[in-house]
Parts: sequence; structure tokens; C-alpha cells
Amino acid sequence: MYKRTRFYDFTYYNFVGSWAWILHRLSGLALIFYLSLHIWVIHSLTHGEKTFNAVMTFLSSPLFKLLEVGLWGVILFHAFNGVRIVIVDFFKGSLAHKQLFVALISAAFVLWALGSFMLLRHAF
Amino acid sequence: MEKNFKQTSRTGSLAWLLQRLSAVVLFVLLLFHFLTYHFLTRTRAVEYRQVLERAQSWWFPLLQFAFLITALYHGLNGIWSVLEDYTTNKHWRLAWYCLLLTVGVVLLFVGTLTIIKLYTLKVG
Repeated sequence: MYKRTRFYDFTYYNFVGSWAWILHRLSGLALIFYLSLHIWVIHSLTHGEKTFNAVMTFLSSPLFKLLEVGLWGVILFHAFNGVRIVIVDFFKGSLAHKQLFVALISAAFVLWALGSFMLLRHAF
Repeated sequence: MEKNFKQTSRTGSLAWLLQRLSAVVLFVLLLFHFLTYHFLTRTRAVEYRQVLERAQSWWFPLLQFAFLITALYHGLNGIWSVLEDYTTNKHWRLAWYCLLLTVGVVLLFVGTLTIIKLYTLKVG
């Protein structure tokens, strides 16, 4: 008898692909939530230099800088796993999708370290 | 093959294709966004003057607008494909779809307003 697969059925999570799939969805949802906030907050930067500087001072506290480092990580995961999805869907990536995952996430990790350095270099 | 192609709006394969195309565009634009606003800044936070100078060139607002549209489409279409997986009731599906559409229109309006205001603000 056919059994319906559910995202919370953890017997499927022995596989790289299942983790990549659920993490891609969760990071995507987090990112669109962030994007909504971002568009909203950036709008408050358009009321002249005084407000701009007040908002930017608030947003460049060490707490927000650390959150930014986390955001950069979530973005890189979503972007590089996204590249894997495109390679799997349009090329013969499905033959090596696990190796692709390891290679691309390693590349993302290097960029995460580099970007985090750039973000934090003026922060403390 | 041809017959199937005519049914793309029903099967969702056009949304599938556009999701991947917008992903590739976003991969490039987001890297550029991070470089200009977060990595290559001279101080702890982006400076008012630097932001306005860039926002008032002829090409930057166009690029930002393209970025805004692509990101909103990709994000909201992503939420829609997640919701589609867990919502079978057609009334709920319609309700979610309308909600996402509204959120999209509001954010597009706010984002476009920001781009226009930054373009027209006087550098003090």
C-alpha cells in the first residue's frame, strides 16, 4: 500500500537530499520574512540625513552585525544549494547530487568566512 | 510534448522554470548587493552621501528595481509552492494566493517608493 510521505516523517532524513530539501525550504521562508522586514526598514532611510544616521547607528550595533553574519550564512546556504538544484534539474547533476552538495556547501562556507570578516571588520 | 507545454499554467511547470531562472539572476544580483552595501563600505555603516551618490546614477535605480521584482517574485512563488504542498482545500488555496499577491503588491509599492525617493533626495 502506498504510504504518503510527510515532511515530519524523520525516517527519510538519513539522506543528504532530504536534509537539503527541508533546509532549503526553511531558509527560503526565513529569507522572504527577512526581505519583507528589510524593504520596510530601508524605507525609513529616505527621510533625510538625520533619520538616516539615527537608523544606521541603531542597525550597526554589534548585535545587528552578528545577526547580519547569520543572515549571510542563511543566504549562502540557500544560494549554493539553489545552484545544486539548478545543476540537478537542467544538467546531469542527479548522478552526483551528494558530491555536489558537499562541494558547493564547502564553497559557501569559504565565502561565509570571507564575508563575515568584511562585515565585522568595522564592528568592534 | 507540445500538448503538455500548453498546460504549463495548470501543471505549474512555468512557475518551476521561472523559479530557477529568477534564482540564477538573484545569485548574481544579491552578490552585487552585498558587495556594494555591506562589504565595500568605508566605515562601520554605509554613509548617507555614498548611498545617495549611487542611488542617483541612471543605472543603479533600474538595477535595484529589477532586483526588487525578481526577489519578490522568487520569494512569494517559493512560499506559494510550499503552501501548495500542504493545502488541498481550494478555498484555502485561493485565500493564501490572494494574501501572497497583496503582500507582493504592498512590498513592491514600498520598495519602489524607496528607490524613487533616494533618487530625488538632495545631497545636503
